[in-house]
Amino acid sequence: MSRSRTDRERSANQAFVALADTMVADYDAIDLLDRLIGFCVDLLPADAAGIVLGDARRELRVVAASSEAAELMELLQLQSDEGPCLDCFQNAAPVSIADLGDAVDRWPRFVAAVAERGQFRAVHALPLRLRGQAIGALNLFDREPGPLPEHDLALGQALADVATIGILQERAIRRAEVVNEQLQMALTSRVTIEQAKGVLSQHFGDDVEAAFDRLRRYARSRNEKLAGVAGKVVRRELDPAVFARPSGPPHRAPAPRP
Amino acid sequence: MPELGVVTRTLLGIARNGADERILATAICRAYVDGLGVDGASISVLTATEARETLSATDDTAELLEELQFALNEGPCVEAATTGNPVLVPDVHDTTDAARWPVFAAAVTEQTDGRALFALPLQWGAVNLGVLDLYRRLPVTLSDAQRRDAIGAADVATLMMLGLRTDPGGDDWLDTAVASRAEVHQATGMVLVQLGVSAPQALARLRAYAFVHDRLLIDVARDVVARRLSFAEDVE
Repeated sequence: MSRSRTDRERSANQAFVALADTMVADYDAIDLLDRLIGFCVDLLPADAAGIVLGDARRELRVVAASSEAAELMELLQLQSDEGPCLDCFQNAAPVSIADLGDAVDRWPRFVAAVAERGQFRAVHALPLRLRGQAIGALNLFDREPGPLPEHDLALGQALADVATIGILQERAIRRAEVVNEQLQMALTSRVTIEQAKGVLSQHFGDDVEAAFDRLRRYARSRNEKLAGVAGKVVRRELDPAVFARPSGPPHRAPAPRP
Repeated sequence: MPELGVVTRTLLGIARNGADERILATAICRAYVDGLGVDGASISVLTATEARETLSATDDTAELLEELQFALNEGPCVEAATTGNPVLVPDVHDTTDAARWPVFAAAVTEQTDGRALFALPLQWGAVNLGVLDLYRRLPVTLSDAQRRDAIGAADVATLMMLGLRTDPGGDDWLDTAVASRAEVHQATGMVLVQLGVSAPQALARLRAYAFVHDRLLIDVARDVVARRLSFAEDVE
C-alpha cells in the first residue's frame, strides 16, 4: 500500500463515522458486519476478510465474508477443526500468522487444505471480545505472506470491537439473556440471507455474489434491514423483479440446464 | 469441542424410528422440563393463516399459557414467533418485563401460577416452524450454560421437526453440521423458485433427491448452486 499515513487515517475516520451512522435505533447487525468487512479490506493490507460467531453451543459459524473465497477459508478451519480463527476464539486473543507455510506443525489439516486451494498465505485472527471472553472472531486473509504491522493490528482490533458492539447492541447487554438472544438473531439472519441469495440467483440467472449485491443495493437504497428484505424474498412477499438493476438488462436468461 | 448441555444431549439421543410430529414434540418438551428444571413446556405451530395448533403441552398450566397468548395475541411466544428471536423472561411479575405485554402479564398473574417464561422459536432462516414455551412457578434466571443449552437445543429441535417434515425416508435427522452450510440454504432458495414451492418443501425435494440417488445433501446442494442440477424440469 503506497497510501500516505494521513490519507489512511482520514479513511479510517470516515469508516468509523459510517459505522456509527449505521448503528441507529433499529439497525441490522448483519448489514453492519457486511459494511465492516468492506472497510477491513479497504483499510488494512488484506485481500479478504470474514467474521465467525460462536452459536449457543459455542460452535463457530460464518456470518459475514468479503468474498466466497474468504467464506471458504473460514469453512476450511471449521471443517479441519483447527486453525488461527479457532485458537483466537478459544483464547480470546489475537493470532497472527505471517506465513501459513510455517504453521504446518501447529495445524496440519488446515494448512494442507489451504495449500490445496492455494489462495491465501497470511492469516490474522482478531477476537470479538466481551468481558474477557470471545463471542467470535474477525479474520483477515492475505495472498502474500507477511506480518500485520502494529498499527494495522490496532485498527483491525478496533474494527473487531465495533463488530462486537454492533452485534450485541450495547445498550441492551446489561441483561445477560440478551447476549444469547442477539447472537442467535445474527445467526438466523444469515440463514435467511443465504436462502434469499439463492432465490435471486435463480431468478436472474447470476451467481450468489451478484445476488447478494442486488439484495444489498435494494436494502440500502430504501434504508431497510438486509435480513428483513431477505425474509420477504424467501416468503415470496416481495417480487424478485424489484431487484432488477436499472442500468443493466432487467432479466438475464437463466443458465442452460444440464 | 465444547461440552453439550443436558437438554441438547437428550435431544440428540431421541430415536428416529416411528416419530410423528406430536410424539417428537412431546419428547422435546420432556427433555426441556427434565434438563432445565422448569415446571412445564409446550410446542405450538403457527401456520401462515395465523391459525395455530398446540402439538404438545406437558400440563394444564402450559396449555393455558398458550391459549392466553393466542387469545390476547401478545406475550413471549407471540413475540418469539414474529421476531424469530428467543424471549427469556426471568419473572413475568417484574414490571419491566410486564410492560412489554401488559394485558398478557396481568392475565398470567390472575389465572396461572407461572412466573418465569421462556419462549424459544423453532426458526429455520425466514421460516418459523413453531415456538417452544417453557414456564416455571418460581422466578429464575438461567445460568450462562443453561441459556446456551436451551437455545442450542432449540436449534437441534428445529432441525428434527424440519427433518420430519422433509422426510425423504432415510433413518437420520437432518445433520446439524450440514444444515448450517451456506450452500444448502442457497440451493433451497434456488429450488424454491424452480418449483414455486415454500422453503421447507424445497429442502424436502433436495433431501429426497439426495436420498434416492444415494448422495450427500451438501453435494446435491453444491450441484444446484453450480447449476449442474436443476429441479425446474422433473428430475428423478
